[in-house]
Amino acid sequence: MLRRAGPLCILSGAGFMAMALSIAAGRPPRVPPDPPAGSEQNLAIVVHHSNPTENLSMAELRKIFLGERRHWPNGRRITLVMMEPGQPERAAVLGLIYQMSENDFNNHFLHGLFTGEVFVSPKTLATPLGVRKFIFNVPGAIGYVRASDVDESVKVIRIDERLPEDKGYRLHVPPRASK
Amino acid sequence: MFPRVRPNKYMRRQTKRLLRHTTMGSLPLIDPLLVLIAHYSSTLLLLLVLCVVAIVGIFVLRDVNTTNVEAQKMYVGSVLGLHRIGELQYQAQETRRATFYALTTNDSNLQVEYADQSRGAERLVNEGIVEYLRQARMPQEIETGKRLQMDWSDFLNVRDEVLASILEGSTKEAVNLDQAGGLQSFDRVRQDLDEIKRLYNEQASQRLANVVASSRRFTIRLITVLALTLVFASASVWAIQRSKMLAAIQFAELQVEFVASVSHELRSPLAVISSAADNIADGLISGKDNLHKYGEIIRNHSRQITELVNQVLQFASTQDRRSRYVLRPLGVSQIIETVLDNASEQLRAAGFTVERQWEANLPCITGDLSALVQCLQNLIMNSVKYSGESRWIAIRARLVNLEDRGPEIQIAVQDHGIGIARSEMPHIFEPFYRSAAVIDAQIHGAGLGLSLAKNIAEAMGGKLSVVSELARGSTFTLHLPVAQSQEFEVTGAAFDAAPTNTK
Repeated sequence: MLRRAGPLCILSGAGFMAMALSIAAGRPPRVPPDPPAGSEQNLAIVVHHSNPTENLSMAELRKIFLGERRHWPNGRRITLVMMEPGQPERAAVLGLIYQMSENDFNNHFLHGLFTGEVFVSPKTLATPLGVRKFIFNVPGAIGYVRASDVDESVKVIRIDERLPEDKGYRLHVPPRASK
Repeated sequence: MFPRVRPNKYMRRQTKRLLRHTTMGSLPLIDPLLVLIAHYSSTLLLLLVLCVVAIVGIFVLRDVNTTNVEAQKMYVGSVLGLHRIGELQYQAQETRRATFYALTTNDSNLQVEYADQSRGAERLVNEGIVEYLRQARMPQEIETGKRLQMDWSDFLNVRDEVLASILEGSTKEAVNLDQAGGLQSFDRVRQDLDEIKRLYNEQASQRLANVVASSRRFTIRLITVLALTLVFASASVWAIQRSKMLAAIQFAELQVEFVASVSHELRSPLAVISSAADNIADGLISGKDNLHKYGEIIRNHSRQITELVNQVLQFASTQDRRSRYVLRPLGVSQIIETVLDNASEQLRAAGFTVERQWEANLPCITGDLSALVQCLQNLIMNSVKYSGESRWIAIRARLVNLEDRGPEIQIAVQDHGIGIARSEMPHIFEPFYRSAAVIDAQIHGAGLGLSLAKNIAEAMGGKLSVVSELARGSTFTLHLPVAQSQEFEVTGAAFDAAPTNTK
């Protein structure tokens, strides 16, 4: 698994570097091209730029995604952004973070909101662009997109001290179906 | 009968004199100007009209340009400015409206879309404010623009919070936030925009007033300039008419003067001839000696009449440019000898001693022999006539090398006669001019001799000068250029020697 992810991390890292360079040069940032169909990609956890959080452990991330944590350290209310059912990114998050099926996920939030154990109701968006725009508008929002869909409107945080392009990053998503 | 004399240099000169004595009233300041106008009437009028047209053109162009610039400023400043403000107001409303549209749905995708619309309108407002500040010149405009920028920024801060609350699903919180700060800050933005609109309206009114003032100024100037043009044109027409009238009066007076002078000069010898003829016819004269004496009287007076008629005819022909001189190389001594031969009888009869003096081997001059003889003869007869008690004249010729004109022959006729007063010197070459002293002394003459001599001298490419002192005598000098070698081959018919004073 790690051996297969290595070259992808290098590719993702090169993509971020190119984007950073283009921002520094005053040019509009260029979204990295989609990786070839059939190859696995990393999933970036993104937040608002004003969010001071730089790193989350996998446990903290799971707690946030389960709605068990209400606020960020800066006091902002946490808003969870999910993609619509059927999207590979959502499936990856359910598998890697929630470790639940779609039904378990729905039951968890229905039960949690009813009992008051869960403080956050996730917002559902159809596209990675919608996710980015939502996070751009909501300072306390947290969501996920493929590393190749990240742009300068959102901030990528480290998970267990690793960025998506780093070796050993644990969140992966299956490739998009070829168009 | 009198010659058809056309107005010429002489007549223009005479105008000055006549202006001093004209019967139509003299205008000491204007009349010298009229002399100039008479001189260059058509040129001056054309120049005047051109100047006026040019000035009118410059004024009109300047005012049209000013009005055009003002109108453009008004359009850019007011119409475009109001359009920009209208757009700013619309986009500001859109920013707020799109934010509230997000309240109408629970669909996060739609909410994001509305948030996007709000941010798009916000961007346009920001650009509009920056553009307004870039174009603002007056302190009040700059101050209002900066206030708008600040109030807009305050509103956006609240809007961002409201948007975040809506997207988070906290509708109540969003409404509370808007009511707590958004409404007031947006009202301030609206007031700022109204203030900017008011400033634009004020500027538009000011610019409209400028355009109206400019247009009024343009009209007044145009009317003034046209009135001035009319006055100038009227003055020009009046001046030209007056100058032409003066010239006509002067011409008529000249004719009268000429007729009177010639009649007087003819009447005296005719009376003598008539009286002598009567005496002979009535048998009152007997004896050979008496008859001889009367014959001499009749012959002398007939010659006097002939000479006068010849002078008049010659003067008339030179004035009409009809004199055609046959120019050919002539020896100086040949000319002088011919003159003295012609005048010898009269000189002898008057008891004159003639001193002759000229250098040997003088170069030839180019000229018409008979005209030059006439010229010198006039000078000799002038000396004879005005010698008073003296019975001496001298005729001298010499070659003089001048730096500017080259070599010339100078033939001088000198007498020890009554001389010419300094005040008379400028007029002695004018036709029909006779000094008061000469008229008082009853010295007969038509006043044409010197004028003719001068005309001939100038027609030969030379000139006539005079040095005189009252009661000491006069020296008239004929200056003639030395003939060029090639002129010896030129036929006289090729020369149409128009007198230079009839240009």
